[in-house]
Amino acid sequence: MSKRLSVTLLTAPAMILLLGVFILPMLMMLLLSFQDENQAFSLHNYSLFIQDPYYLEILWRTIRVSLWTVLVSLLLGFPVAMYMAQATGKMRGIVTMLILAPHLISVVIRNFGWVVVLGEKGWINETLISLGLIDQPLRLLYNELGIVIGLTDSFIAYMVLAIATSLYAIDPSLNKAASILGASRVRTFFSVTLPLCLPGIIAGTTLVFSLSMSAFVTPALMGGTSVKVLPVIAYEQIMATLNWPFGAALAFLLLGSTILLVTLYTKLIETKRYKEVFAS
Amino acid sequence: MKKINVLGLITFFVLVLVNLPFLVIIPSSFTAAGYLAFPPEGFSWQWYEMILDRPEFIDSLWFSLKLATVTAILATFLGTLAAFALSKYKFRGSGIINALMLSPLTVPSLIIGISALLFFTRIGIAGTFTGLLLAHMLISIPYVVRLVLTGLSTFDYTLEKAGYMLGAHPFRVFWDITLPLLRPAIVSGMIFSFLTSFDNVTVSLFLVAPDTTTLPLAIFTYMQETLDPLVASISSVVILLSLVFIVLLEKVYGLERLFGLNSQSH
Repeated sequence: MSKRLSVTLLTAPAMILLLGVFILPMLMMLLLSFQDENQAFSLHNYSLFIQDPYYLEILWRTIRVSLWTVLVSLLLGFPVAMYMAQATGKMRGIVTMLILAPHLISVVIRNFGWVVVLGEKGWINETLISLGLIDQPLRLLYNELGIVIGLTDSFIAYMVLAIATSLYAIDPSLNKAASILGASRVRTFFSVTLPLCLPGIIAGTTLVFSLSMSAFVTPALMGGTSVKVLPVIAYEQIMATLNWPFGAALAFLLLGSTILLVTLYTKLIETKRYKEVFAS
Repeated sequence: MKKINVLGLITFFVLVLVNLPFLVIIPSSFTAAGYLAFPPEGFSWQWYEMILDRPEFIDSLWFSLKLATVTAILATFLGTLAAFALSKYKFRGSGIINALMLSPLTVPSLIIGISALLFFTRIGIAGTFTGLLLAHMLISIPYVVRLVLTGLSTFDYTLEKAGYMLGAHPFRVFWDITLPLLRPAIVSGMIFSFLTSFDNVTVSLFLVAPDTTTLPLAIFTYMQETLDPLVASISSVVILLSLVFIVLLEKVYGLERLFGLNSQSH
């Protein structure tokens, strides 16, 4: 068999599936998003979004909860990554397993667990009331706080793993060198460890941000009906209102704004890094 | 030493947090009370018996198992073939094909779901098993391709050559030499595809028909209306099932290595 024939035969089935179920439908969806009521080409759907403060507020809320999720995952995930980097074989394995395994179980089920914990009659509220610390249950669910908790639980593993991978790669003799030269632990952390694991932090934060922006299930289950994010609105436009062109436009606006923000962020960080390098 | 303790403490806290959902769901499912409570009150199997009276959950469990099994087999087959071509032959456009194979991972599931719905409605397979299967294969193939490619990156082709020189038929070489050596990568691709399909919500959401729905979606829909211990007992069944596959995956491949490949799950 010729090489060309082999390559074609081997890749064709997957490529046909990919082109037919992914690339072509995406293009169709893009075209549809530029359709107005008369099926004519127009920017109607996009201008509708930009001119309506209601939708802009939803976009801003989507960005806001994603940023909070990134911040909380970074603050909680960084120490875990540090711990994993310092731990020895067996302990590292256990921590890795315990942080990764939950992420392979359906997000619906994890969210349900959080509802049991955070609900008005949930574990936290019942405990606090029985301890006499509060008289009214706290509102921990069906608001932005609930979404951030759910999203952090969903995506923190990506943050931990991205940072841990970059920490594993740091040569331990660098820390030793710093301490021999008289640097304190804090100084070593800020001058050696942090700059060297910056790529991991950038990867982790952009990953968690993008995933949070497009998450649908968690905001739908833990945000409730009044606190909606862009993916939930897009879903409603498609499945409930049946305004498919507008729903498609919302989905692309979501994708576009995510890409834009991530690009700006990486540009900003990189420029800053270059400046630091050239300044020193 | 103090620094390590602080890190250990935070790590412990985070580990408890990410596992908390399961730590509360499983006990809650055994409650004797008629409502959802944690800590659970009393002990009973009543909420597990209750599942048997809910055909929508039983049916959707079978549907999900069937879908995930067929997805796993087909996605692994297609993905493995493609990975072979990408690894074995250097050809023009291999970079593009490789990037395309992985591209479903970089696009939000929501967009994959919506675009598949649009297209499937037009060709008349929206709401069918075939439609769901195609979409689930699409989101599983990138993982298979990457897992098998990783396996092939350390593959010693001289072993195949030795087989040919000893006069073995190409299929014999493939079956007796290539396949056994790649088994861990292929098997983990299959297990991972199964889990991806079995747990998927966001893509399925757009593609199921009301009478044929997947289990996570049945739970999702039920949860939006009622929150009772029934959700806990069904969830416990799913947790147990998923756990079997996760342990398998850890044994065959190792979760940490696997997660390096997994960049999107929603």
